[in-house]
Amino acid sequence: MLNPITWVIWVGTALVTLSATRNPLYLALILLWISLVLLATRSTSLAPPVPISPLKFGLVVVVLSALFNGLMVHVGSTVLFQLPYTWPLIGGPITLESLAYGALNGLALTGILSAFIAFNQALPVRALVSLTPRAFYPVAVVISIAMTFVPTTLRQFTQIKEAQAVRGHRARGLRDWLPLMLPLLVGGLERALQLAEAMMARGFAGGESDASADKTRLATIAGLLALLGGWLLRLVWEQKMLGGALMLLGLALVGGALWIAGRRVPRSVYRPYGWSVFDGVVIYCAAVAAGVFALSLPGLDKTSIFYYPYPRLAWPDFNPLIGLATVGLLGPVVALLLAGKRTTSKIGNG
Amino acid sequence: MKHRLLSIAIYALTTGIGIVAFLYPFWLPIVEKTPMMGMAHANDAPLMLTLLVGLCFAVLLLEVQGESISAKFVALLGILVAINSVLRFVDVAIPGPGGFSPIFFLIGLTGYIYGGRFGFLMGSLTLLVSALVTGTVGPWLPYQMFTAGWMGMSAPLCRLPVQVLRGEGKLTEVVVLALFSALWGLLYGVIMNVWFWPFAMGPVERRWEPGIALIETLKRYAGFYLATSLVWDLMRASGNLLITLAFGLPTLRVLRRFKRRFAFDYQP
Repeated sequence: MLNPITWVIWVGTALVTLSATRNPLYLALILLWISLVLLATRSTSLAPPVPISPLKFGLVVVVLSALFNGLMVHVGSTVLFQLPYTWPLIGGPITLESLAYGALNGLALTGILSAFIAFNQALPVRALVSLTPRAFYPVAVVISIAMTFVPTTLRQFTQIKEAQAVRGHRARGLRDWLPLMLPLLVGGLERALQLAEAMMARGFAGGESDASADKTRLATIAGLLALLGGWLLRLVWEQKMLGGALMLLGLALVGGALWIAGRRVPRSVYRPYGWSVFDGVVIYCAAVAAGVFALSLPGLDKTSIFYYPYPRLAWPDFNPLIGLATVGLLGPVVALLLAGKRTTSKIGNG
Repeated sequence: MKHRLLSIAIYALTTGIGIVAFLYPFWLPIVEKTPMMGMAHANDAPLMLTLLVGLCFAVLLLEVQGESISAKFVALLGILVAINSVLRFVDVAIPGPGGFSPIFFLIGLTGYIYGGRFGFLMGSLTLLVSALVTGTVGPWLPYQMFTAGWMGMSAPLCRLPVQVLRGEGKLTEVVVLALFSALWGLLYGVIMNVWFWPFAMGPVERRWEPGIALIETLKRYAGFYLATSLVWDLMRASGNLLITLAFGLPTLRVLRRFKRRFAFDYQP
């Protein structure tokens, strides 16, 4: 199994590549690789399926996005038909270009959703909670409690519904939900009371505030001010170098403060997630893909990434090197296949 | 005293930067134009915005969670977040009309009864846990968490009008909270729209463009909001209003009763 951080890097790469381009050829390739990852993780996932399939969601989003953009944006040279100008909001020429651009935005959105579905399928909730930084230990405890009690609460909700139905209760209007809501809330709060007593009896307590905590706070305030100052310098006064340096300083101060706050909390992990050669493969492939799309590399012509259908729809350019770089998103499939083979050969060897 | 001042400074700074970051299209006078029309600053602005909002959220979360958080606080919050996440789960399975979701009801009421700190965590963690449960983790999540957290954090502001109207435990209290929830039903949509509006395409009268004056920006945003979100958000606002009016009084009684029951101390 891949390390949760590897999955975070992969999903980050998917986001970078999908946000960077509207070239339909690259978008199609990225979507294809993400779909393969989605299928590979689906076959190994223990998580329940998501409420809506990515394919259905994609179809709806692409169509709606194209229609919305087509009706709202009256830019482009290929006029398909004209709506009367007297019609508020949508009146004007409906162009092929605006429909195409809307559909491309819908494709990118579908890709983002699919990448996150794959991410959710690949990682159990325990792994997601383990990604919480040490500084947020109390928040992680709250999340763990909530995640643990969600199935219990769902069960309790069903029991209350059945009990009320036996008494002849039917939920018709809004007020009919009160006999369902209130027992759920009271029952939950009773459980919270028991849990609090049990936690106190076992000695759960947060740390005491000390002088070092105030120093951390000061560093955080300084960091936030530096970040804000740097951002304003960059955006308003065009001081890119100075603004960037100030933002980096702010980032370092806030990051340092979070790190120090985390160090005050001892952490023990029952079954830590290890690193394997497969993680290296996925991270390397993702880094190549993200690098090609996000960085300006010498000798690489990236003009084809910035596809724009206005003013007249044209066939998009394609750079094979950039197309090849998108294959980097297939890293998890390769890792899962290799890991599967290794397990099979181990079983075969006895 | 020093501790309290630093804490207030962090609350003010993170909230202030969050607002400035969310609203930058409204105050930014001139931004460089890129060759792609309507996509000004498309390269670094979303990244900067995400970075700033993300960091502010992390710092605010660190401050709000506190260092001497008690077992009672953790247990109560954990269970209430679980209950609210189940409501979101029901909402995802059987979607309500428009932007309606039952989760805002408890965020507002718990923030009002248990305080802004509790309300902030209730809002942001409900969105996080329900996203984990329903598999809807995405790039929109930090913004949703921040906005829902703000709702919970601002709920204690209702105490003043309730006190002035001497309405505690009466229908007046529920009406104040219902209006507050309805207002946040709209505000939630307004805030969540702002972060992507500068990058959305649309007709000139509803599109953000670099260099336009504040009044013009507000006019255009109002046009964009009316055309794309108002009906959706009105469903959320009316849902919040109705659900608070219908369930507010008994829920407030329950939350108050458990607030008294949770006021126990452990003597070793």
